[in-house]
Amino acid sequence: MLCFLYGLFNKLNPMQETKLMTEQESLEIIQSMIQKAKASYHDKGISSLLWGSVVTIASLVSFTQKQYDFYIGFDIWLIVLFAIIPQIIISIKEGKEIKVKKYEDETIDTVWMVYGISIFCLVFYQNITPNVSNNIIKNEGWQLTKHFINNLQPDVIITPFVPSIFSLYLILYALPTLVTGVTKKFKPMIFGAIVCYAMFIVSCFTTSKYDMLCGAVAAISCWLIPGIILRKKYLKSKAANV
Amino acid sequence: MFKDLDPILHSQLRLAVMSLLIGVKEAEFTFIREKTNSTAGNLSVQVNKLKDAGYIDVAKKFKDNYPLTTCKITKQGIDAFELYVKNLQGYLKVK
Repeated sequence: MLCFLYGLFNKLNPMQETKLMTEQESLEIIQSMIQKAKASYHDKGISSLLWGSVVTIASLVSFTQKQYDFYIGFDIWLIVLFAIIPQIIISIKEGKEIKVKKYEDETIDTVWMVYGISIFCLVFYQNITPNVSNNIIKNEGWQLTKHFINNLQPDVIITPFVPSIFSLYLILYALPTLVTGVTKKFKPMIFGAIVCYAMFIVSCFTTSKYDMLCGAVAAISCWLIPGIILRKKYLKSKAANV
Repeated sequence: MFKDLDPILHSQLRLAVMSLLIGVKEAEFTFIREKTNSTAGNLSVQVNKLKDAGYIDVAKKFKDNYPLTTCKITKQGIDAFELYVKNLQGYLKVK
């Protein structure tokens, strides 16, 4: 009777202490547990969806404003700034749910944090340097003017600007996306980053209006589509576990 | 001549715990229990054995007023695990 109960216990509880293992079984346990640890975390895709949507909307609205010459009344890129609030809430909530911390996740989080800081620096650079440069050249006693070669229009005084600044944003968009894609072996993000680099090259040859379209394509391929795929995967795995 | 396999690691549940922890920075007790499909009592005993051997660090704290136990592999644990795998490979090659 005791033997029967012991056998039953062994069957019901495969991971218990007393059972002797062969070397082959040891190897199987190691392989199986390493696989389980690897597959333990599924990105919910919410952050990718959030940033993919926000940057796509901002880029498309910017393009539409320039194309049809109107202004919506506020800088559409402010929505990117406001998207930081839900992102913080999402990060805190997801952080609480995580039961296992992986080295690769920490590295990826750091890369995204550095990306955020770099984007902020680029925005700062874009907004500050034209005025600073203007003051410097004014102090030097000269000014920048737009001169029409055909002389049909008078010269116009202009403020210094960074040519095709949006191309620099596109380089930055690709960086954390490619790191995440390669580290997580997530092909949609690798593909998205490649598309983003392609958009960077295109944007070097286009006006700032069409750079916005390049930005929208980059945001859709880098974050929106991978976000949809991640979300679907997460919901599927959640449904399978119920 | 074969080297003996480390008796601390040559046990199903302890080996499973170490295999889980080898690839992660740290893991919660509930995560390990879930992945190893073990009972809390049994896992607790094995975790303590690994802790006493110096193979893992166990930290107990509170999260949202609930006790939270996290486990982390130590340098000694990594070395022991690597040696175990090396010795295991020796056995398997001959067979």
